[in-house]
Amino acid sequence: MNAVDVLIVGGGLTGCATAWHLAERGARVLLIEAGELNGGASGQNAGSLHFQIERRFLENGPALADQASRVLALNRLAIEDWRILDQQFGPAMEIVMHGGLMVAHSDAEVALLERKAAREAEFGVPTELLDATGVAKIAPYLSPDIRAAAWLADEGHANPRTITRLLAARAIESGATVRSRTRLADVSRSARGFHLTLESGEAREQIRADRVLLATGAATMATGVLFNLHLPVFPAGLTMTATERTAPMIGHLVQHVGRRLSMKQTESGNILIGGGWASKLQRGATSFDLSCPATIDPDALQANLRAAADTVPGVAALNIIRSWTGIVALTADQLPLVGAVSRAPGLYVAAGGSGFTLGPTFARLLAAEMAGERDGDSGLALFSPDRFDHLNGFMG
Amino acid sequence: MSGMFDLAIVGGGPAGQAAAEIACAAGLSVVMLDEQPRMGGQILRQPPRSLKVRDWLPGVTYRDLKAQLHRAEALDGLDWRGGVSVLGLFPRPDGLRLLASGRDGRQILEARHVLVAAGCYDMPVAFPGWTLPGVMSAGGVQAFIKSQQIVPGSRFVLSGTHPLQLLVADQLRKAGAEVAAVHFAQSMAAMAGQVLRDPLLPLGHPRPFRDAAAAFANLRRAGVPVRFGQRLVRARGSERLEAAEFADGTTIACDVLATCYGFLPQADLLRQAGCAMQRCARTGGFAAKVDRWQCTSIAGLGAAGETTGVAGAEVALREGRLAAIGVLLSDGLLSESEAEGRAAPIRRELGSLQRFADLLARIADPREAIAGLADDATILCRCEDVTRGALIRAISATAGPEDASALKLVSRAGMGVCQGRSCEHAVRALLAEHGAAPGSGFTARFPARPVAIADLID
Amino acid sequence: MSRRVASQHPGPILILVDGAEVIALPGEMLASALLAADKPVFRNDLEGKARGMFCNMGTCGECFVTVEVPGRPARRLRACLIPVEPGMKVQRG
Repeated sequence: MNAVDVLIVGGGLTGCATAWHLAERGARVLLIEAGELNGGASGQNAGSLHFQIERRFLENGPALADQASRVLALNRLAIEDWRILDQQFGPAMEIVMHGGLMVAHSDAEVALLERKAAREAEFGVPTELLDATGVAKIAPYLSPDIRAAAWLADEGHANPRTITRLLAARAIESGATVRSRTRLADVSRSARGFHLTLESGEAREQIRADRVLLATGAATMATGVLFNLHLPVFPAGLTMTATERTAPMIGHLVQHVGRRLSMKQTESGNILIGGGWASKLQRGATSFDLSCPATIDPDALQANLRAAADTVPGVAALNIIRSWTGIVALTADQLPLVGAVSRAPGLYVAAGGSGFTLGPTFARLLAAEMAGERDGDSGLALFSPDRFDHLNGFMG
Repeated sequence: MSGMFDLAIVGGGPAGQAAAEIACAAGLSVVMLDEQPRMGGQILRQPPRSLKVRDWLPGVTYRDLKAQLHRAEALDGLDWRGGVSVLGLFPRPDGLRLLASGRDGRQILEARHVLVAAGCYDMPVAFPGWTLPGVMSAGGVQAFIKSQQIVPGSRFVLSGTHPLQLLVADQLRKAGAEVAAVHFAQSMAAMAGQVLRDPLLPLGHPRPFRDAAAAFANLRRAGVPVRFGQRLVRARGSERLEAAEFADGTTIACDVLATCYGFLPQADLLRQAGCAMQRCARTGGFAAKVDRWQCTSIAGLGAAGETTGVAGAEVALREGRLAAIGVLLSDGLLSESEAEGRAAPIRRELGSLQRFADLLARIADPREAIAGLADDATILCRCEDVTRGALIRAISATAGPEDASALKLVSRAGMGVCQGRSCEHAVRALLAEHGAAPGSGFTARFPARPVAIADLID
Repeated sequence: MSRRVASQHPGPILILVDGAEVIALPGEMLASALLAADKPVFRNDLEGKARGMFCNMGTCGECFVTVEVPGRPARRLRACLIPVEPGMKVQRG
């Protein structure tokens, strides 16, 4: 039976980056991916690098907003991690950090921006409030109706279509083995770690691994079943849309504090529009069937595009050429689920929330923790899966 | 604009017209949408009403089709909407919603039944120089003559594998164009060999053979060289096309090179909606799988004509009839036995027509002619300018993509304004050449045609 | 050089293509007017190379141009599907 130090399940950004970091440390790493590398949310999101408090955290009242704001500690680290990736990989990742604006149209929205900026200051995220004049100076493409904006100079975007594969290639060069079209079929505990059955096509193989990382995004709930665990991560389908290529128009990441909206212009000139509008997940026998593509909701799409045209009027004349869905994973408290699962020693998980922006940071911190380099607080304590351990109290 | 209909037909060609005739006669409310301003489809692409054309599309080939078109245009119960692009189909509890756009902005329609009869388009074939202005599809050139009353150049070369190029060349000649050559990549013997595998079949369907033979004779008489075994390898020119080059080294000066290798189904709306599809083996592309009443795998959504596999207008219009009879059956306007009775003669005709369409597809098989045509510098994805070499580099990279959708993400091939309609079949072939399983192709996305944001949110 | 062959047509109209006057026939498609005016280049690709139309049936997207008609905002449209109108302004590329 083959033995590895670490089995990573899931060939998305976090899985591939963790494989790279661990392989660099000399660990024997096998990464398996049930479909194609980068086939999930890592490749289907719109590439925002957003480090301000997300609008979705502000949607559900101050208590949940306070709780969710704690993710800002990670955002600060993520800014640095993306700058390092840019140095390590160069232009291929198309990492652009020319700043981001979260805009406000109404008085109430301006007040919300102010509260948000105060909270960000507490966590050392240097958001700056701009009035209408300041906004117009930095971003003349925005609607003159914009009253104010929160500006964060480190925000931007990167290319989700290529980054994960570049990380996988680096992992392979560092000695990791990467296998696509291979799924985890069965698991049992061994004296030290796990016995695992892998399935690729008709072929089945048994391996032993000391540690296992589940980086399976929206499929984490299903993967957890193999370990007899509830890993409470819930899928949601988000709609994104690309315009045709156009001359440089939007130089920043643009978000809206009062409406679901994110916009950016890629290096190729396409403008990507998203921000959290739902696509409809397909219903399976007992849960959502993630193997069937989610369907676009034309009403939600039109509302998304209206928000975009209200915010950047110049996009109204542009043709859209493609709308698609990315399946994200959410948790009950909106914070990511990252770290060791105490109830199953040797098992680690990374899922839930802003997995593109925070993926490189999850990977770096997890690799250190899995390699036993953890001294004191690795920065992940807040996001430990053990906060939901009560869900597994009766699983035997 | 909006509306609620019993039946929405996407495509105003023979299949759609035939379905409309039957559905309207049964009293259903029917809307027909097409990107062209006038009904007809590509086969009968009509001139604008402002142009007077003497003797438009003469001959027995078009006679019955024109008669059906005139009947369809006169249908009282048919809401004809030309110049409208259908962008997406969305299943609803009782039927489907169609999102479309036209000159006057967005249209949202609801229909209990939708029939997609969207036709086909010329198979784009990539070879060095094919992006030069002047290299066009043969169907596109033909549409200029049929509908626009324009000869889109001075000196034409037609090249490919499909016998349609004989008809196009003859139409060009009649319109006064100089046709420098009509070159088939396959040998005459290879074409004859296909016919001889089923020698009695053409006798049952003399018209298409007679048309091709007549066009061939006309061209010969006019001194137009029609040659076989002449494989097109390159288009030459700098700012625009200057000459076509063939495998034996001959070059022929021309300002239009019309390529004619066969046709791919217009199936993006059905793929986007998630219908079960099947791959077309010879040309690539995907056709809708349908049942005996032309229903797709999605309730309320049917397909007829080339969208279900390219087989010509005669097959298309009969499939349109079957689809409409199926709608009447499902609405309880016909009993099972009445529907079967009406369908039986249509099915009999379809059986032999389909065999003939298969023969034509075998004769025109482009695979050998196009294998190895593109070099590494040849653009495969015209929208995003992705070359064959760039795609091979992407496939060969460490941790490289293994199926068409993944290759699209990495390379941008298929991410442009045409959503891969021009390159998908070539990208899949390239993956197969490199030992990968290309999978089900690119994922078709909303909108099926580009649409301005302002026109969608009106 | 393309050539019109209609036996009868109404009086021509003028459109502006990249600032230059072009004669067109009412009802004909913009692509036809461009070809008839010997303007087969519709855009330049990423390398700056000339591109023309290909499919002439709305499928390939090679003929996208920017079109403005009086009273309507500018749009990027497929020239093969857009009938010319008096006063139409067209920008290729």
